[in-house]
Amino acid sequence: MLSKITVSPGPHISEPHSTRSIMGDVIIALVPAMFAAIIYFRIRAFVLIGVCVGTCVASEWLCNLIRKKPNSLDDLSAVVTGIILAFSVPPALPWWAAVIGSAFAVIIGKMVFGGLGANIFNPAMVGRAFLTASFGMLMTTWTVPVTLDTTMPEIAATGRGAITQATPLAWSKQAIKKKVDTKVVAAQLDASLIGQIGGCLGETSSIALLIGALYLVLKRTINVNIPLAVLGSAFVVAAMCHLINPNAYIPPWLHLTTGGMLIGAFFIATDPVTMPLSTRGMWLFGTGVGALIMLIRIVGEYPEGVMYAILIMNAVTPLIDRFCKLTPAGGVPNA
Amino acid sequence: MAKKDNVRAGQVVGDVDAFVSAPVHSPVSGTVKDIALRSHPVLGRTMAVIIDTDPADATEKSPCAGQFGADFDHSAYSVEQICEAVRQAGIVGMGGAGFPTRVKIEPNPRLPKRTLIINGCECEPFITCDYRIMLEWTYQIIAGVKLACKASGCSRVVIGIEDNKPAAIETMCKALEACRGCEHIEVAPVQTKYPQGGERQLINSLLKRTVPTGGIPPMIGICVLNVATCAAIAEAVVTGAPLTHRVVTVTGEAISKPGNYYVPVGMQVADLIDHAGGLTETAAKVILGGPMMGLAIADLSTPITKTSGAVTVLTKEAIYKAKYEKRQTPCIRCGRCLDVCPENLNPTKIAHAVKNNLLDVAADYYMSACIECGCCSYVCPANIELTGYIKTGKLLVARAKQKVPE
Repeated sequence: MLSKITVSPGPHISEPHSTRSIMGDVIIALVPAMFAAIIYFRIRAFVLIGVCVGTCVASEWLCNLIRKKPNSLDDLSAVVTGIILAFSVPPALPWWAAVIGSAFAVIIGKMVFGGLGANIFNPAMVGRAFLTASFGMLMTTWTVPVTLDTTMPEIAATGRGAITQATPLAWSKQAIKKKVDTKVVAAQLDASLIGQIGGCLGETSSIALLIGALYLVLKRTINVNIPLAVLGSAFVVAAMCHLINPNAYIPPWLHLTTGGMLIGAFFIATDPVTMPLSTRGMWLFGTGVGALIMLIRIVGEYPEGVMYAILIMNAVTPLIDRFCKLTPAGGVPNA
Repeated sequence: MAKKDNVRAGQVVGDVDAFVSAPVHSPVSGTVKDIALRSHPVLGRTMAVIIDTDPADATEKSPCAGQFGADFDHSAYSVEQICEAVRQAGIVGMGGAGFPTRVKIEPNPRLPKRTLIINGCECEPFITCDYRIMLEWTYQIIAGVKLACKASGCSRVVIGIEDNKPAAIETMCKALEACRGCEHIEVAPVQTKYPQGGERQLINSLLKRTVPTGGIPPMIGICVLNVATCAAIAEAVVTGAPLTHRVVTVTGEAISKPGNYYVPVGMQVADLIDHAGGLTETAAKVILGGPMMGLAIADLSTPITKTSGAVTVLTKEAIYKAKYEKRQTPCIRCGRCLDVCPENLNPTKIAHAVKNNLLDVAADYYMSACIECGCCSYVCPANIELTGYIKTGKLLVARAKQKVPE
């Protein structure tokens, strides 16, 4: 007979996943883009990813130590923050800047709020915003992928040689200001699919990012509503502009494959902590992110926009949650 | 009842006058040994009549399904006769809620019933007792359905059976074809998806209608009965026998001889487990009910009640994997609990409100609408006992209400 009997509330069985396994899935999904980054940017990619992940992990460990809290590194969220931050900085960023950005991301972006689950903003985006504000020049110097043929006319046209080049979105900004033709930018579409373009470390190869995204969607790790809403709304806005004036505004598909659009839609906006809970809220949030990205890209002075769009919508998330309160299946009971 | 009284099988041992109540009968003959506090799966501890069985009169009651055939004629019984027999037999909902059946089926001019739904969905994974009786007591169930339909005044009957039980669906359909006067009874396969056996979910699946939050099925003209309850109605009306026995699924990896057993109500779980070959070495948790909503019991002398459909025994590895391998981590707001909630609630919000003692916030997010199915806890990656918190919250609200004078 039983010597010891366990008692607990139901249910007595559970699905075998955990926060750790969800974060693990995200890391696996980021591996293809990591490979692409290493192929295009070689040792720089290695150093940046290593430094960012290392600093994030160390910062979280230190915070827990100071606050006398149990170690929370095993949820792997610090690793995810590190990889995403590394992916969203220029390859030529010096390692010390990466250390500062990563430490800021984890300490100010996450731990001061009380750790994972309590942060308002996506930590990686907080770190990146801090870097952009502090080291503007470093954050906008784009290295050419080592595999790129530097005699290409588009690059030669920059006049800055083989070391740096403008990103396709910087080109598109020029197109809006009528300095170059949109065709110059459109010529980079093929290159942006495999990643042979200038840009942040992990955002250049659309195919690598899409492979990872497909994994997350198939494993149901991320909710597909958010990427659909982000890409959908961005596409609609971009398409309208392009239809109005194809000479000034680049084609919408180019907007989807360049800059941080894909990594933002699939990996950053879907950060569970900083997104709304309800399906309706997710659509609102995603649509807001997509529309803000396009607003910044088309109207703003800044060629990018994913980071600020996500940070702004993160701030609105509690409001969205309050606005999109669920109605019970049986309707609201009359009081 | 008093100590040393003689009791005969089928004799009433407990009753009250309250409208929403049902008498309890002794399943065995013997003498009253004691009337004392005993553990109870839902109430914790309650007064119980303890009966020593008389070895001289040890006739075992056996199922009466053999008495029912395709030729059963329900017109011989009046509505009053049926309702009274159901009340006298102490029949309650045998699916788990245990609501007195007489109250359910009795005609009510204020809430007339039009559709009778027969719940042939197993309430939880692991449990097969309803499936077995649908195969073995088919005609008895149909007789009960006809009687309940007549008593409640319904014009249409839908028997909902999950689509992972094709044998039960086929048996039921064939039996209905063989019976006379069953044109208004239909069998409807439903998707196998927990908690399909919950009455609110079943009504929605079968009729695409929604029971209002905080409401009950009669408000939309529906009465829901479990198949086992129907079988009990047929037995009570036709033979006059009270509800003293039921089929219980004894299951789980830590049981030597799992199976469905016909057992007397009041039998101790320990005796039933012994009868089912005893526990294996690895047994660690005994649950009265299924693995999702069942109540883990600390005392194996807890009796089987009229509502206990199963005894599930889980192994140490199983409960370790489910609950203790991963410690509880902070909510990452992934929203999985919202996705799976069959009542479209916000479990994480409610649970965290309860945790922080904000019962008004919990109520604001419709805590009372929770059916406690356990899906949110099952799916939570942070291993948070969402259902546990919500149950606690409901309990706190109930207690607070009792304290406030009217």
